[in-house]
Order: sequence, then C-alpha cells, then structure tokens
Amino acid sequence: MKHIIRQVFHSGKFVVGFCIFVTILLVVIIYPLFITDSPLAILGQGTFFPPGIYVSTFDSINSPTTYTLDLNDAAAVRIANKLSSDDRLAIKDWLLVAGIPEDQIDITDTKKLLDQWSSNYDPKKNIPGMTNAKRNYFVRLDNSLKGLLSAEGAIIATKNPETGILEQTGIVNQSDYVNINQVASVRWLPLGTDNFGRDVLNELVKATVVSLQIGFVAGIIATLIGLTLGLLAGYIGGIADDVIMFITNLFTVIPSFVLLILISFSIGQEQRGAFTIAVVIGFTSWVWTARAVRSQVVSLRNRDHVNLSKLSGHSIVHIILTDILPYIASYVIMALILQISSGILAEAGLSILGLGPRTTDVPTLGLMMNWAMIYQAQILGKWWAYFPVLLTIALITFSMNLMNTGLDQVFNPALRD
Amino acid sequence: MANVMLEVKELTTKYITRFGEDVYAVDHVSLKVEEGKALGIAGESGCGKSTLALSLMGYYFAPLHYTSGEIIIDGRNISGMNPDEVRKSILGKEIAYIPQAAMNALNPTRKIIHFIEDVIQEHELYITKKDIYDRARKLFETLGLPAEVLQKYPVELSGGMKQRTVIAISVLLLPKVLIADEPSSALDVTSQKMVIKMLRQLMETGLISSLIFITHELPLLYNVTDDIMVMYAGQIVEKANSKEAVFDPIHPYAKGLMGSIIVPEKGLRDVKLTAIPGVPPNLKRPPAGCRFAERCKYVQPECKVHSVDLRELEGGRTYRCIFSEEQLRKAYQNG
Amino acid sequence: MKGYRKYFLNKLAWFLVTLVCAFLLNFILPRLMPGDPVAAIVARMAQGMSNSSGVQAIYEQYTELFGTNKPMLEQFFLYTRNVARGDFGFSFSQYPRTVADVLSASIWWTVCLQFPAIIVGWLIGNSLGALAAYLKGGFDKVIMPVSIFISNFPPFGMAVLLMVIFGVNLKWFPTSGGYGFDLIPSFTWSFMWSVIVHYQLPFWSIVLIAIGGQAIGMRSMSIYELNADYVKYARFLGIKDRKIVGYVFRNAMLPQITGLALSVGTMVGGALVAEIIFSYPGLGSTILTAVRGQDYPLVSATTLIITLMVLSANFIIEILYGIIDPRIKAAQAD
Repeated sequence: MKHIIRQVFHSGKFVVGFCIFVTILLVVIIYPLFITDSPLAILGQGTFFPPGIYVSTFDSINSPTTYTLDLNDAAAVRIANKLSSDDRLAIKDWLLVAGIPEDQIDITDTKKLLDQWSSNYDPKKNIPGMTNAKRNYFVRLDNSLKGLLSAEGAIIATKNPETGILEQTGIVNQSDYVNINQVASVRWLPLGTDNFGRDVLNELVKATVVSLQIGFVAGIIATLIGLTLGLLAGYIGGIADDVIMFITNLFTVIPSFVLLILISFSIGQEQRGAFTIAVVIGFTSWVWTARAVRSQVVSLRNRDHVNLSKLSGHSIVHIILTDILPYIASYVIMALILQISSGILAEAGLSILGLGPRTTDVPTLGLMMNWAMIYQAQILGKWWAYFPVLLTIALITFSMNLMNTGLDQVFNPALRD
Repeated sequence: MANVMLEVKELTTKYITRFGEDVYAVDHVSLKVEEGKALGIAGESGCGKSTLALSLMGYYFAPLHYTSGEIIIDGRNISGMNPDEVRKSILGKEIAYIPQAAMNALNPTRKIIHFIEDVIQEHELYITKKDIYDRARKLFETLGLPAEVLQKYPVELSGGMKQRTVIAISVLLLPKVLIADEPSSALDVTSQKMVIKMLRQLMETGLISSLIFITHELPLLYNVTDDIMVMYAGQIVEKANSKEAVFDPIHPYAKGLMGSIIVPEKGLRDVKLTAIPGVPPNLKRPPAGCRFAERCKYVQPECKVHSVDLRELEGGRTYRCIFSEEQLRKAYQNG
Repeated sequence: MKGYRKYFLNKLAWFLVTLVCAFLLNFILPRLMPGDPVAAIVARMAQGMSNSSGVQAIYEQYTELFGTNKPMLEQFFLYTRNVARGDFGFSFSQYPRTVADVLSASIWWTVCLQFPAIIVGWLIGNSLGALAAYLKGGFDKVIMPVSIFISNFPPFGMAVLLMVIFGVNLKWFPTSGGYGFDLIPSFTWSFMWSVIVHYQLPFWSIVLIAIGGQAIGMRSMSIYELNADYVKYARFLGIKDRKIVGYVFRNAMLPQITGLALSVGTMVGGALVAEIIFSYPGLGSTILTAVRGQDYPLVSATTLIITLMVLSANFIIEILYGIIDPRIKAAQAD
C-alpha cells in the first residue's frame, strides 16, 4: 500500500493535479473561516459592480482627520482619469479644424492636449457642418474641463434642521486626503458583484464547496450503483449478467442528459435542491463504471486465487470483498474521480438550461454561470461575473483528470509513453 | 566447402531505454551459416536470442541500435549500407523473418493478397497485380495452403493457418536466409508439427537457402537444425553440431540448459532434470568477468575478474569458459 | 455479405429496442416523479389562473390529447398514437403554435450545426492525435496538454470564451442568434451570408471541444498500434514506413469510430448548452424557453426528438463501421 502511494506520487501528472486540487480545497476551507458573511447577501443596489476597494464617500467626508498632501501630478491624474478617449478624439477634431498640424497633436499627452485646447478653443467660432448637438457638447466639455482645472474645493452643505436652509458645514479641498484605514466603512470586493449585487468572490467560494459536494454525492452514488451492478454482472454471470448488461447498454446509448433534463424538469423548480440534483446526476451516470467493473471482474473471476477461495468454501460476499475488490480498487477510484468531475459539469450544464438547484438556497458554479449568462455579462464585458467561475470549473475538472491520468499510468504500465 | 549464405562478424547491438541507458543485448556475436544448412539458437528467454534475430536483419529502428560488427549475406556486406537501400534490396529478398507472435503479425484489416501486393511491389516496381496473384497462388499451392486464403482477412484464419501464411509470405521473394523466431511456441502440437514440416519443406525445395531457427524448445531444434548455438546474456557460450550440443554439451550453462529440458530421445530418458538456480545478470551493468559466474556450480575466483574468450576445439566447436574440455568433463563426472 | 447482413440486422434490432425503451422512459419518467408537472399544470389551469380563451383552448386540447385524468395504460396508448401522428399538441409557452411547429423550425438549425461540427471535430482531433503519436517530441508535448485541458473545459465555457474573444472584443463575428435580427429568412445572398457568419462561433466552439477528446483517444490508440507486431513484421519485409503508417492509422481510427458512436450523446448534450450561450435558434434554445415557460409538452417532445437523433446517429455510425472494418463481418460469420 505504502509502495503504491509512493509510486503514485512519483507520477508528475498526478502530483500536478493533486496540488491544484488540494489548493482549491484549502482555499474553500480556509476562506470562510475569515470571511463569515452570507454568500447570498445582496450588497449592491445594481448589477455588476467592478472589482475593487469600495470606500464610503460619506465616511470619507466625515472622516475624523483629513490630511493635506501636495502631490504635483494630482490634478493631471484627476483630469486624465476624467477625460475619456472619446473626449480626447473630439478635442483632436477641434484642434485639427483650428489649424494645428496632426503630427503636433498627441491625445495621450494630457497636459499638452489641454494647453492646446485652452489656447485654441473659442465657443463663438463657427465651424461649417457642425451640428448644434456637437456645438453644445464642446461647450459642456470646456465647462467641465474648467471646473476640473479650477483650484477651488467642493463645498459641503447640510440642511439646518430649524430653518431648512442649506448651510455650509465644510469644504473639501483638492489637496485633502483621508487614510483609507481611518475610514469607517470600506469594503473590498476582489471580484466585484454579480447581477443581484452579491459579492462574487464570497459566492464563488461557497459555490465551489456546493459544486464539489454535488460532484462527490453524484460520484459516490454513481460509483456505488456501477460497482454493485458490475460485480453482480461480472461475478454471478448468467441471466443476471444478461439483464444488467442489457440495461447498461441501453443507458449507454440513451443520452444521460436527456434523462437528466426530463427528471429535473419533472421534479419541479420548488423541489430542486442541490442534494436532489446530485442524486439525480448520480442515478444517471453509473453506466461507464458498471461496464468497466464488469469487464475487470470477468477477467478476475477465473484467476487461481479466486478459484482457491471458492474451493475453500468462502461465501460470495467474502470472495468479493477479499479476492475481487482489492484488485479492482484502482479502477473504481479512477472511475470515482471521473464521475466527480463529470458530475460538476453536469450540474453546470443543467443550471444553464434553467434546471439547476433553486437559486435561493445555495450558490453553485452552474447557477453563477447561468445568472451571468442571463444578464449577458459576457457581452457587457463584466468578466468578473463569469470568468472566475469558468476558471474554477476548468481547474477542478483538469486537476481531477490529471490525477486520473497519473493513476492510470501507474496502474496500467502498458499505457506509458 | 559449400557457399556461406550468412556470415556475421562480431556483431554488437544495443537497446537505448527511455532513460537513455544502453543495454547491450547482442555482444560480439559471430556466426556462419552455409547453403542448405540450418542453425539453431537456444537459450533462456531474455538471453538475447530474439534481439539477435532482429539484429541479423541489418535494419534497425528504435529502441534497437547498431553498434559494431559486420553482416555479410552471400558475399555482400550489408553493415555499411544506407537503411533505405537495405529495406529495398535486402529485406525480404535476401534475408527474411518470421516473427515470434505470428498471431498478430498480419495487419488485421488487410486481405492477405493485398498485403502480398504491398510486399512485392516494394521490391519489384513493374509487376502487375495479376502476376503477383499468380505467383502467390503457386507458392501457396506448393506449400499446401489453399489459395482461398489469399482472399481472406487474417481474422478469418485459424492460428496454425495464420502461422503458415506468415511463413509463406516471408519466403515470397525466395530469400537466401530465413530467420524463424520461435515460430511454433504459441501453437498446439498439431500446428507445431505442420510448421516444422513446412520449414523442412522450404529447405528441401530450395525456396530458402539457409535457416536460422530460434527457440527455447530443444527437441524442435534437434529435429530441424544442423548446428546449435547456445546464448547467455547476449553472448554465445557454446556452438556445436546439433547432436553434440544436445547430448554432450561442454559449457556449464549449456549443460544446465540441456538438463533442464525433457528431450524425448533415447539416451536422455534417465538423465535427471535439473533447473539452473539464479537469474541472468542485468545487461545495463554487465559483470566484468564471466557472465554466468554468479550461477555456475564450478565457479572460480578468477571467473569474476576477467571476461572469458571463446575457445575453439577441433572441428570448429567453440565454448566460452576458463576451463579446458577435460577439466569440465571431469567436473561433470564428479557431479 | 452474409456476415454483414447478420451484423446489420443485429444493430437494427438493437436500434428499435433502444428506441422503444427511450420512448417508454420519456413517457414514464415525468409521471413517476413526486412533483408531477402534468398534474400541477392541469391543476393550475383548472383554477382558472387566466380566463383568456387561449388557455382554455390549451386546457381542452391538453386533456383530450394526453388524457391526464385517465388510467395510466390508456394515457400511454393516447400518447403513443399522438406521437405516431407527429402531434404533440399546443405549446404552452408559445400558444397558438403547436409543438410540432416549434420543433420543425428549430430542429434543422441543430442538425445543421451539430453534426457537421462533430464530424469536423472528430476528423481534426484524430489527425492531431495521430500526428502527436507519430511525430512525438515537441509537437506531442504541446498538443497533448492543450487537448487534455480543452477536453476538460466545459462546453459552455468554450462557447463563452470564443464569444468574448471573437464576438465581443475583436468583433469579427456576431455574438448571438442564427441570423441577423433585422432579416427575414429567405434565399437571398444577404440572408445566407448572415447565416454563415452567425454559424462560425457556435460551430467552432463545438469543434474545439470535440477535438480535445478525440485527439487524446487517437493518440493512445495510435501508440498502441505503432507497437503492434504487424508493424515490425511489415518493416522486416521491406515495406516503407509511409505505407505502414497508413495501416496503423486506419487501424487506430476504427475504434475511434465506435468511440464516436458512444460519445455522440454526450457531445450533443454539450453542444445544446453551447447553442444556448449563442442564443442559436436550435433545440437547445427551445429547451431553455420550454423550461422557463414550464412548457411540459415542448420539453417532452424535444427530449424525445434529441434521443431519436442521437440513437439514429449512433445507428448510422455502427452501420458504417460494419462496412469499414472487415473484422465485423468475419466475427459475425463464425
């Protein structure tokens, strides 16, 4: 046993797969110890907030201490941040009309561009062929640039509770700063929020746990059914074999996802929990295990040690447990690994069809994907809503397949090369 | 003296493993086969006899590699030839091979006749399919195989029939040397007899000029061959005519090998069966001295120090041992 | 030819048996489940959730067609008769269209998308696998890990990635639909072109997924065949490597054909989900709308059609295989 384990860990593929898988497991176990928020709590009023650190504006203004920092590039950075690439192109258009040669205009150089703008812009200038809307756009652009360029601060006013009149209570200067550690409310959303306004990372961790559980439950059910049927068919043979093989062949050709769809649909949205889905997946995916186990058992059935055991009068259960199971254990483990990863994929596929577990209970990787697709995150460029999910699914299945290939190479040396 | 069909001088070949290690499975082997003669090669499995068979073809592919030595077929040295030239003008035509596992030696999805076409067209450019068919049919009839076999797929043939078909295909181009590597080991007794009969027939009818027959079944060797060569760990340990090699071996290993096999011949009935204890050396790191030293009953300290050369006796008999013939015979008598 | 006829009849019988069993399952499974959708929907209808004449018509049609209040056996005969006629009743979610009408519109999109894609993926995958086995070295070291990764990638994931890269960012291809939304299906050039352009991303996402799995299988089959005894024997008879490689790949490809027959079901399943991602107007999207609209007749009919397609594909592959592989005839003749 020790020897086998050592051999398994000498296989590069197995080790890589194992490391990826263990890393994922550790993350999903450790993360909830530190972040205890409910993964389904809705934080954002709106869809798809991008990843980043969210700082309460109110708390920032009312922060107990403000600091004054004289940073030379602060203004330039502020304007550069404010000027969109469309604005820059519009400025370039104006400057071209105003007679500046094209090679002197660099829209990436904010300072030079603004200098050229302020010296060349003239709101009264009439450019032939320019629409009114466009003229108004340039006026607005100029005003907002002036506002940005001015050195005045923003005034904070509050309503006087007695008179109801706004009174100035403070001023925020351009050089005022707060220390983020002193702001009362700061929330880091490393992967932003989803369409419901939920913390994607938090949800993803929980979803990975649930999906792995679904995979394990489905895999164990499928393996148990497959193992039992395979053992019965292979060891007992005769009519049992014929009947079981008929059923197995039948479910090999009838696509399992069709059964999955039919059953999940029939169960109904309200009854579909993650566990139910896992059980359904397990009951529709035992076929390959049954086939593999049967063929192994058939080849084992007439080996000397099994015959010896039979002659010694051991019971069928005893023979199966001591003389057959140990020899097919490696196959069963490999089949289980494959079942787990295909179970996770099956759940994801079902969820995208709208047949996954209820949305309100727990997140799963499939459900996250489904909602991201419904809200068209991929078309809107909200990568954080779907890409981490895809990556997690791919890493889980990839790592499991690598482990499986590694095991296969150890147990079936003929395949090496 | 008859024509020498195959002469091999100091041939050495090696396997290169996945990890880049060299394994010298054929180590300075020399042999000679004359026209009309059959040479037998005997030894335990793993002694290098199958590798020798592959090496004799003069055509190498990974993991087997040529190292040194010469192969001369009917006066033509093929060791320095370009591999493609060997393939076109030597393989099948001058020297042919019958593989160990004839069961799987034929492409399962190709009709026998189509495979024969592939073989002949490789060596004769301007031959029509009709001529090929006629030639194949004639050969098959000569060898007592039904012509319908030609139109069948290998899966449709029985084991014995498949083996005989393989032999017939191997001699299609009338090779001067035929190397048969355990052609009968996987067959039942009746089929074995047929195969042996066929090999003899090939020699008698002159379809082949000489035969090298490799097997671990000594009774077969004794029946078919004129001379026998015993190999151990990639080297020749003894070479003698068949009768002497089987009934009067000199080398301790040959002695042990002959003793470990039942030969249903008169004089051997009362010889006790003895197995040779131990296992052959690992050829990745061959021992410095005699390769058989670890398992030899008569081993002396110096056996393990220096490699031992072949000694030649009168009449061309050779063996590889530090003892003289008399010393060995005396030792055998004392048990 | 006798051997082949036996093989053919054997496969035909098996095809019919599986078809009957699939049909039975399609009938029984929904009725076995605890939350019987048939009963639920009929109950909802009976409560008079809506008074519109459409719902009333569906309700009447439904009770007549499926006889949900009748005993199981009678229901079964009714169901069988209607299916045999190609009459699946009205669609709940797309009333007044009938299920047959909805399906006849979407089925061809799926057939024309998936079967070419699976075949192309199979061909490319097998070629790459064979090359990896033959060339070894660097080519193998690149192709294999990529194939393993791709074949483990969820099919919808591949669809999303292709869409984001080539549809959203590069804007080479449209991201959704089967043709431009401003066009009406017709045999005009602009419509055809639109169909071709919309075809690309769903097509290649299915192809890529198929390539991964096939390449891995073909590579190990080829390595196995390259080490076969007949290769060594053919070499020693002086046959040139090019011809031997021909033998090897033909022989390695044969099990891949049966492999295709066995995996076509899974592939179609993945491809249906990929269709949904691209809002392709095929059966995948039909299932999605049916599920969202709680449209029981449509779900039932679509799953039946998909099963029929997969079983037929399977049957055709097996039949072709019997023609290509001589061993089949020989084995049956014994």
